[in-house]
Amino acid sequence: MIIYSVMPMELIMENMEGMSDIQYEETEIDGVKMVVERTPQTSEAKIVRLLSLNPQDYLNPRFAPGTTIYFRPNA
Amino acid sequence: MSFDIQQFGVKRTQIPPLQNRPDLRPPMNPGLAAGPREEEAPQGDPPQQEPQGDAKKSALIESIQQLGQTSVASSPDSNIHCLSIIGQIEGHMAMPPQNKTTKYEHLIPQLVAIEQNPKIEGLLVILNTVGGDVEAGLAIAEMIASLSKPKVSLVLGGGHSIGVPIAVSSDYSFIAPTATMTIHPVRLTGLVINVVESFEYLQKMQDRVVSFVTSHSNIEEKVFRELMLKVGELTRDVGTNVVGTKAVEYGLIDEVGGIAQAMQKLNELIQENKQKENILQ
Repeated sequence: MIIYSVMPMELIMENMEGMSDIQYEETEIDGVKMVVERTPQTSEAKIVRLLSLNPQDYLNPRFAPGTTIYFRPNA
Repeated sequence: MSFDIQQFGVKRTQIPPLQNRPDLRPPMNPGLAAGPREEEAPQGDPPQQEPQGDAKKSALIESIQQLGQTSVASSPDSNIHCLSIIGQIEGHMAMPPQNKTTKYEHLIPQLVAIEQNPKIEGLLVILNTVGGDVEAGLAIAEMIASLSKPKVSLVLGGGHSIGVPIAVSSDYSFIAPTATMTIHPVRLTGLVINVVESFEYLQKMQDRVVSFVTSHSNIEEKVFRELMLKVGELTRDVGTNVVGTKAVEYGLIDEVGGIAQAMQKLNELIQENKQKENILQ
């Protein structure tokens, strides 16, 4: 992989060590599978990427990477 | 899953936690609540005890935090899709969280959807990027270039390094008068084991970028390579920082302009495209 950028490499790669602490989890919302990043100690998570095979799901702003989702206890 | 273009409006509503609102539970709820399956139920997470009155307030605060304003004006249905390429272009490796990134694994299926969706008639690509992964950037550029629908790009702020091929991949490109594009060689950092092979590999990588840019814009290969290897312009590297009007003079970008010109051009291209389709029918 080659990075072609005007940003210095050391700035891009700073905090690379902390990346391994991030907890990724797979979940499904309205039938769309996705990888989410759990925010520790809360019931929130952030969408990292979709695992859907339907291209139209990627146009849905609700599923944009970075969107916060909330887990709720099952009733 | 059926899909409604009305969801494309810029309005993004944050729905407060739903445990107190049985009336809003999925499948009717339009919000963002995830119903994890039984085995995925969060372990050790305190259930949110937010009273209903605060929920509205917290949604408001959240929209201020996320968007910098309380509410976003809702727009009428748009026949164009706006794709913004910002920050670093993230490719095969996830970048540390201080980087703002455009993720190619999200953009590529999105471009497939844009091609497929009959309600989208044109694509507006807005760039303010510092570059990023060569292969991811070229993949996005190739996807935009091969899209059958009219597409216009606009460079604001910066469209550097791998942003250059993306900027020229559209049918017609604009650059803001103050925007810049840095043209410099592809670099390899870290351990170099086989100098000759590494050099040739880099040369090939470089040629891919150069050939894409020269075949999708009016700049000549000789001029582009000259700009790339110019000494004395950049502090840390060889290369050139090309500002607004200069980019148009070199033939890299088609015109200096802003959002109004870009939208006007896109609408013209959409009309032309429709007329062509009518003739064919």
